[in-house]
Parts: sequence; structure tokens; C-alpha cells
Amino acid sequence: MIFRPARFLAAAALFAPLLAFGQKNGCIDCHSQLDGDLKAPVAAFEADIHREFGLSCRDCHGGNPDTDDIALAKDKSFKGAPAKAKIPLFCGGCHADPAAMRTYNPALRTDQLSQYETSRHGKLLKAGDTKVAVCTDCHGVHGILSARMPKSTTFPWNIPQTCGRCHADKGLMEGYRIPTDQLDEYMASVHAKALFEKKDLSAPVCNDCHGNHGAFPPAVSSVASVCRQCHAAAGELFGKSLHKKAFDDMGVGECDACHGNHKILPPSTAMIGTADGAVCIQCHDEGSRGFKMAADLRRTLDGFTSGYSEVEGLLSLARRKGVEVGDAEFSLQDVHTTLVSAENLTHGLDEAEIAKTVAEGEKALLGVRTAALGAVKEGRFRRQGLAVTTAILALFAVALALKVRRMGRTRRDEAGPGVPGPPSS
Amino acid sequence: MKRRSAIDLFLGGSLIATVAAFLYPVVRYLLPPKRPIISQDTVVAAKTGELAPNSAKVFRFGTAPGILVNTPDGKLVALSAVCTHLTCTVRFEAETETLYCPCHNGRFDLGGNVLSGPPPRPLETFAVAVSGPDIVVSRRR
Repeated sequence: MIFRPARFLAAAALFAPLLAFGQKNGCIDCHSQLDGDLKAPVAAFEADIHREFGLSCRDCHGGNPDTDDIALAKDKSFKGAPAKAKIPLFCGGCHADPAAMRTYNPALRTDQLSQYETSRHGKLLKAGDTKVAVCTDCHGVHGILSARMPKSTTFPWNIPQTCGRCHADKGLMEGYRIPTDQLDEYMASVHAKALFEKKDLSAPVCNDCHGNHGAFPPAVSSVASVCRQCHAAAGELFGKSLHKKAFDDMGVGECDACHGNHKILPPSTAMIGTADGAVCIQCHDEGSRGFKMAADLRRTLDGFTSGYSEVEGLLSLARRKGVEVGDAEFSLQDVHTTLVSAENLTHGLDEAEIAKTVAEGEKALLGVRTAALGAVKEGRFRRQGLAVTTAILALFAVALALKVRRMGRTRRDEAGPGVPGPPSS
Repeated sequence: MKRRSAIDLFLGGSLIATVAAFLYPVVRYLLPPKRPIISQDTVVAAKTGELAPNSAKVFRFGTAPGILVNTPDGKLVALSAVCTHLTCTVRFEAETETLYCPCHNGRFDLGGNVLSGPPPRPLETFAVAVSGPDIVVSRRR
């Protein structure tokens, strides 16, 4: 066998990373033999994202993992577990260092620490309150997963529970004078419905409105800006409406005054008007201009909505009867767009604009209604046609039987007497 | 009228009516549909040359609207025109070369991706092919 040094070196270079797996890690060796909290990090770290990037215990805690001697392992570089108040700086040692983070993930932001310092949590921590959330309260400790992993505590559909773990805890929140029903309220909201029922990951969770590392309750003046991140059209209309100045003068949040904050229910025309449950009567007393306008708006929208529902029902009926109503359904789609647009226009309170849009929609709806009635009529015609056809077929059978009988008699009559007829059964 | 004539009339009439009742649905079936649908998954959305550059046309795909866009550089793209927020029909905005929803201003690029607003998902995109004088749009498999 011929020894080839070049091949040997290439093979050694190839297998070097594999050999590294067999390297000693005194931290793991020792902690895996301990119990409880001292053992837990060993198993948890197996799934940790830091481990995936090749980091080990020493990279965060310092020390010397190459020895079994505890005294030698806890050398000058050993940091141990940081005090809670020091955790943000501990994590920020790498996460706030663009040069360090570039090595692992150049796209990862490095402003988490500076944002945290501006947050309510960060400010209270700086003031000496160690009950507030630090990095590990939201991200976990040794089993930290990428926020893109569904099991991560910071994956969208886990965030309400992550925040709620503290914010729904009355005992923990005592002293901060903030409510603890935010989680329950959020879970009843249209946003939670979109997130949990429709699995819509773009639906807002706590951090989308409050921020994540810089979490802070939005001020009244900024609530509208927060909502406008998604609901820009409604915000733009509201900005031009009479309500804008009135709400500003009263110091009322633009969107939350009518829609609420955490428990934002699916909007409907029932919110408009003067009946129980309508939000308009929160401010507008009976007899006022606003009260009358609310009633008028509701009437206008209800007329359009009920007309739309009627046509939708007619088309559904025709479809169930087997009539092809694709063209009418296609036209109804346009009316649906107009209806939703008209509902959204209520944010602008422009009565003329709403009336114009509703009139256009009702005109288009009339054409669809005619087609829908025609389709229902066609369905009825087919059903009646089937009944008539069945009756005709029955009559035809009777006539045929009579004809056969008559032909038999005629043949016997023509053959004369004595000719036997067909054998009777 | 004699009894025999009555039976013959009765028989002939019901025979004609039976044939008519049979032929009516056959004729209705054989007559071509008003719209040029090839199958549930394919439709003739427009004729070639029908769309000027940087313009669009909403067409019927099944019972829902689709939108065919001729981009400024002459590329044809087709997408579902049903907004993924509250199912309104999206429109093409030539200035920005984007699709927007008039209901809540959701905005999509011509790849169907959400650019802004409340839509939770991208628009479905369709395959476009030119077949003779027709622009044929199909669902992707």
C-alpha cells in the first residue's frame, strides 16, 4: 500500500469536525450527573438554537470545560448564572454586538438591548425592580428556539400565553395597578380568531401593538398609528371625519373608543345606530344631530345589507335546485365589494359619499336580483316540467295500453267468430 | 269523435309531448355556453391584443373573479382577484403597478404577495398561455 500524504491530510481535514463531537465537555459530564435545576440545562440545551450554531456552555458562562476538576473548571473566565438584573447585558454581550452577530446571522437585528432599555420592563429593571421580564422570561433559558419554530415561546400563536404568563397573574401584577384580563379579552377578539382558528400568522398579537423588546403601552395619541399599520384605509377615512377633532378634544383614542383594545370584536353594522349595542349612543344623546345621523346611517346600510342577503339567498336556492348561476354570482361579487366599501366608509362619516356608494351598489344589486329571480323561476319551471313530463309519460303508457288492447280486439273481429283469442293468464 | 280516433289522438299527442320533453334538456345541453370556459381549471380570459401594456382586465374564473395584467414590458400575469381579507375584488393600479383592494386598501404586488394592509395571505397566481387568438388562464397544479 502506497502512503499518500496529500490524501491523508485531505481526509483528516474532512473528518476533523466529526472528531470535535467527541471532545470532552466537563460542564455536560458533570451537570448530567446532578439533579433538578442543575441537571435540566443539559437536556434543554440539546434543542437550543445556540447549540445549532456551535456555541457551548463556555460561550455564555465562561469557565474551562476541558477538565473534570470543578475548581479548575471555574477559572477566572467563569461567569456562572447571571443575576436576573444582569441578564439583558449578559445576552446583549453578543446580541448587541453587530460584529459578533454577523458571524452567525448577518440579518439578525442587534438593537434588542437598546430597545429593551426603553421598554417599561427595562425602565423598571433599571429602577431596581427584578420582578419584571428580562430576556429569559420570554425566550426561555437553555432551550431557546428560533422565533420561526412553532414551539418557540415567541412564535406568533404562543406569544399571548408568553406575555399572559405574567400579565394574567394577579399576584404578580399586584402593585403595578394594571388589569390582568388582557389575555382573556384578546382570546375573545377577532385577531385571536384569525390567529388560532384561521391560522393566520399575520394577525396581530401582543408585540405587534406594544412592541417586543421595547414593549410599552401605546399612548392614546399613538393608538391610531398602531392600528393603521394594518387598517390604513379606515384610519385615513377617520382622519378626515368630524370625529377626529372631537376625539382629539376629548383625549379619546381614535380606534379603541369604538372597537376596544384587547377585546376587538368582529365589526358589524350593529355597532352603528341607536339600538342597544351600538357604539354611537356612547356619546350621542337622543335628539342630537349625531343620534339622528347614526340612525340614518344604520337604516341606509341595513337596507343594502338585507337586499344583498336576499339576493344571496335566492342564488343559493337556485344553485340547490341545480340551476347554473355562475354569472349572477360573479356579478354579486362586485356588489359585495361595494357593500364592504360602504361599511368601511362609515369611518369617514361622509353621508353623501356613503349614500352614493350604497346607491351604486343597490343599482348593481337590482340586476343581480333579476337574474337570481330568473334562476329561481327556471328551477321552478324545471321542477314543474318534470311533473308534467311524468304525467305525459303516464298518459302515453295508458294510451299505448289502450291502443294495444283495441288492436287485439280489431284483429279478433276481422278473423271472425270461432277464432280463439289470446290465452288468458 | 269515435273512441278509436280519441285513443289515436291521445296516443299521438302524448308521444309528441314525450319527445318534446326528452328533446328540451338535450337541446339545452347541446347549446354552447355563453362564456368561453374550457374546464373548471382553465378559462379564456381575453383575446391577444385586447390589453394595452400596463393595463388589466377582470375575468370570470368559475364563479370568482380573476385578474389578467399586461405589464408595461408586455408580460402577462394572472391572479385571483379575490382579496384574502374580506373577499372584495382587487383592482390594478397602473401608477404603482400593484393590485389594491378598494375595501380596506390591501395592496399586493403582481406576484400576489401582500405589500400592505390587512390581507393575511397572498393572492393565488394562475398560469397564463397564449393559444392562437386566445389568452388562456389555468390553475397551477
